[in-house]
Amino acid sequence: MAVKGLDIFKLSPKKNCKECGVPTCMAFCMKVAQGALPIEKCPYMSDEAIALLSEATAPPMKAIEVGGMKLGGETVMMRHEKTFVNRNRFAVSLCTCMDDAAVDAKIAEMKAVDYERIGEREYVEFLLIHDAGDGARLAELCKKAAATERAVIIDTESVDNAKLALAAIGDTKPLLNGANKDNYEAMNALAVEAGVVLGVKGADLAELHDTVAALEKLDNKNLVIDVTGATVKETFANAVLVRRTALKDGDRTFGYPSIVNLAKLCRGDVHMEAALAAVFTMKYGSIVAMETMRYAEALPLYGLRQNVFTDPQKPMKVEPGIYPINGATPDDPCALTVDFALTYFLVSGELERSKVPVNLLITDASGMSVLTAWAAGKFSSGSIKKFFDEYDIAGKINNRTLIIPGKAAVMKGDIQDKLPDWNVVVGTREAVELVKYLRDGEHVKAAEAVAASKKPADEKKAVVDADAPLDFEKIAMSIPEIKVVDMGVSYKQRDPNSPKFVTIGERIHCISPVIREAMNNMDPEPILKRAAEQIKAGATYLDVNIGPAESNGPELMTWAVKLLQENFNNVPLALDTANKKAIEAGIRVYNRTNGKPIVNSADAGSRISNIDLAAANDAIVIALCSADGIAKDNEERMMHCHHMLERGLSLGMDASDLWFDPLFLVVKGMQDKQMDVLNAIKMFADEGLKSTGGLSNNSNGAPKAVRPILDSTLVAMAMMQGLTSAIVNPNDLRLMETIKSCDIFKNHVLYSDSYLDE
Amino acid sequence: MSFVPKKQTYNARINEVVLGVGEKAVTIGGQNVLAFHTFDAEIANAPKIGVELTDAGMAMCTMPGEQKFYEGCATVADMAKRAETMEGASFICLHLEGADPNGENKSVDECVALAKSVADATDMPLVIMGCKNIEKDTELFNKIAEALSGKNILVLSARDENYKAIGAGAGLAYGQKVGAESAVDINLAKQLNTVMTQLGVNAQSIVMNIGSAAAGYGFEYVASTLDRVKDAALSQSDAMLQMPIITPVSADTWGVKESIMPEADMPEWGSQEERGIEMEIVTAAAVLASGSDAVIMRHPEAIRTIAAMIGELV
Repeated sequence: MAVKGLDIFKLSPKKNCKECGVPTCMAFCMKVAQGALPIEKCPYMSDEAIALLSEATAPPMKAIEVGGMKLGGETVMMRHEKTFVNRNRFAVSLCTCMDDAAVDAKIAEMKAVDYERIGEREYVEFLLIHDAGDGARLAELCKKAAATERAVIIDTESVDNAKLALAAIGDTKPLLNGANKDNYEAMNALAVEAGVVLGVKGADLAELHDTVAALEKLDNKNLVIDVTGATVKETFANAVLVRRTALKDGDRTFGYPSIVNLAKLCRGDVHMEAALAAVFTMKYGSIVAMETMRYAEALPLYGLRQNVFTDPQKPMKVEPGIYPINGATPDDPCALTVDFALTYFLVSGELERSKVPVNLLITDASGMSVLTAWAAGKFSSGSIKKFFDEYDIAGKINNRTLIIPGKAAVMKGDIQDKLPDWNVVVGTREAVELVKYLRDGEHVKAAEAVAASKKPADEKKAVVDADAPLDFEKIAMSIPEIKVVDMGVSYKQRDPNSPKFVTIGERIHCISPVIREAMNNMDPEPILKRAAEQIKAGATYLDVNIGPAESNGPELMTWAVKLLQENFNNVPLALDTANKKAIEAGIRVYNRTNGKPIVNSADAGSRISNIDLAAANDAIVIALCSADGIAKDNEERMMHCHHMLERGLSLGMDASDLWFDPLFLVVKGMQDKQMDVLNAIKMFADEGLKSTGGLSNNSNGAPKAVRPILDSTLVAMAMMQGLTSAIVNPNDLRLMETIKSCDIFKNHVLYSDSYLDE
Repeated sequence: MSFVPKKQTYNARINEVVLGVGEKAVTIGGQNVLAFHTFDAEIANAPKIGVELTDAGMAMCTMPGEQKFYEGCATVADMAKRAETMEGASFICLHLEGADPNGENKSVDECVALAKSVADATDMPLVIMGCKNIEKDTELFNKIAEALSGKNILVLSARDENYKAIGAGAGLAYGQKVGAESAVDINLAKQLNTVMTQLGVNAQSIVMNIGSAAAGYGFEYVASTLDRVKDAALSQSDAMLQMPIITPVSADTWGVKESIMPEADMPEWGSQEERGIEMEIVTAAAVLASGSDAVIMRHPEAIRTIAAMIGELV
């Protein structure tokens, strides 16, 4: 197991001398743990600490580089535990026993497979040249192989023949596969002299282990292990056991990438070879050598590899752009969707089935699905407009019909405004319905209707300059007058410095149809009703999510802030939208009596500038400890945390105004990561930092009756870890009572028999 | 001292489920180690392969290899009889695609008669795969379960929406084996097994279908769900995940672009049949390496290959 940053921190001098070039010992240790800095950079680390750390921080399995490709470096046996890091590579094997015609045919066949799949070049990365006992021929074939610009594996156990081959192509840094129990000293000398990676062979695991250990004693750790045995069964056992011994049993002698040579095991049976290549792609082959790689084998194998080696926590994305389907030309209509790979495959598959020529437009939505991207502001009329400009869609496509996903129907008007020359029509909610929709020509009819209803060009709306400074007076004039209505509850005055747990009520959210409708019409009643409920139930803050609000964000937020604060004794608010101008406008009219405004939210990636926004407006900011996708572990969470903390501090913010969100994860699906989240909260607390988060996300998809139980249990555990706030549904009585009880035990509130009524 | 690998054994075991009756009955599941980990313990029952036949009969044979294998067959029953002779086949899976109300909408009676004719023609265990329409499948499974009572068939599958009717009918009333299908989600898989056993269906009568995908089409979800189910079943002794797993492979793999694009449209890709076979083989091999206890496949050459691979590995 790799050592954690905080474990290193315990051994560090903790003097924050900055001599290593990093502001704090904590930050330095985090960087050491990630491998970004060597421990020796610290002049004050004791020798014992360095020795201990270099042993402990060494990865259980080395990453070895051949031909610019990294092999191995894995840390887990199964991808869901964390992720696989370096995809396996495929080799085609040639033999000195083959004649020139056969060799040339194999090379031509191998070279023909070269294509792109979701941003990755798929081709045969290695050529393995097996020596059947002819050194001159070996050298000759190696030369031929090196000329194909593939990395070469010299497969010989003869020292003399290896010498000849290395003399021919040593400068291309091939892999010398290699060493065995009898020749390892001589092979080692050759490999070291040529500066190439050495492959190790053995009759069984014990022999392999001994030979690797002997080579390590000679100070060679630039190795790979050839796990190919006499039978398929033995080879599979070797591959699994070598990996497991290194990762699970901590025996680093087996901590090297592996070679599986299928050419040895299934001579001639190309189908069997494909089956085994799939098995060893799943289970621990780093290089899989085959006799045959045609498109028939490559298409499924490379697809499988690409799937298995994706990071489970990072969505697989496709490149934004125009994808013509069914031979679509610029005269055919466009269908738009997001770049989440699964969405792309589903939509493009159904489009293909429809046989209707369509230009599929893929926009950058950070690999999220349509609804998630929309809610996060990553799939908006603004981002779509930007995509159309950047990719010059109007210049490349003549047809003006644009089908948008049914789930994004709400954006239709905004998109139409931003792309006035297009006829925006709403497609189906599910991809499967597309076939019928297109075959029936629904999109054509809809587009005609849109075109017919368009007003003459001179009535087009004035173009809004997004970068222009806000005219607050104009905004204030444009919103409806605020009326104070007696809702039967009032917000109690609050001390912003109280240690009490801060609940942020989440019920005013535009994803709720009632609220969305109310916001569209600036209709106060449904919003006041939800606010009153939450305040009555004891919410400290109210979150106000107005959605992407691209067209009228500043007006809408100004209205919402005034409406809520004037009605409820200046209830403190969290302003929740991707529209920065809206937040700025909201803060402008915000009353701070009961607490600063909260900007919801910033992250360490594309939304980091919301920290600047909070700093400029003396607001609190919720800082999501993620960049693109969920952090894979607490090292990464803390790295994001420190990154954002540094930024906030450098802009003059108080550390207590950054509330770090570890991102609560769904227990259904990410059960094994729950303790990580709780431990992250402890790390924030240990550093004196405040924390918050969408706690109820944990119980998403769980039965209604179970959710309060999960939520309240988690809040108690999280408060024990030091959580200082959460975004919750205050109408959940069980949860609110649990929070109040925890505040009693934490001595934040003085106990009385009626503490629950406070 | 010479290296001796540590063994990883578990106290828990995957349930053994018997399909079919008589000499050709097959047992799936039973192992107490991860897939093909013979170095940890002996594999109790090697994974099994079922041959997928659809109600379309010979019309389903789009590839020359399939046409040749089933040459001369007039009915689905003929094809089932022929499939019995296929190298590596252990059971027959009758896929009633044509029952789909949004498709051909074949009547329940017609499907029952077809299932009977297949059951009469073969001694191999029979798996009935539905058309994915909840209402139609419920009726189909219960009627076929009744008609083939005593044959110990497997109906594939009950889902969250219809497990009560199918569990009570095919499972309890007619004593058949019941598939429990969930969409590539370990929590849903466990939940379905739990409610089905609460209904009274014996845990030993349940086979899971945790979902599938062709290689390259979101297969990572399938692999990780299989990994996690086996891990929970063995290392956490979770009885509600110890049901063996059956994975229909061919239904997905013969529908993706790589398998349906004619050579004429994509000459550089080469033979369409070879592409389809390799897609089926690679997906089946990957599913088995992740722990599936049985696979359902279509092409005779793909089945021969996977059977040989299983033979090599156990």
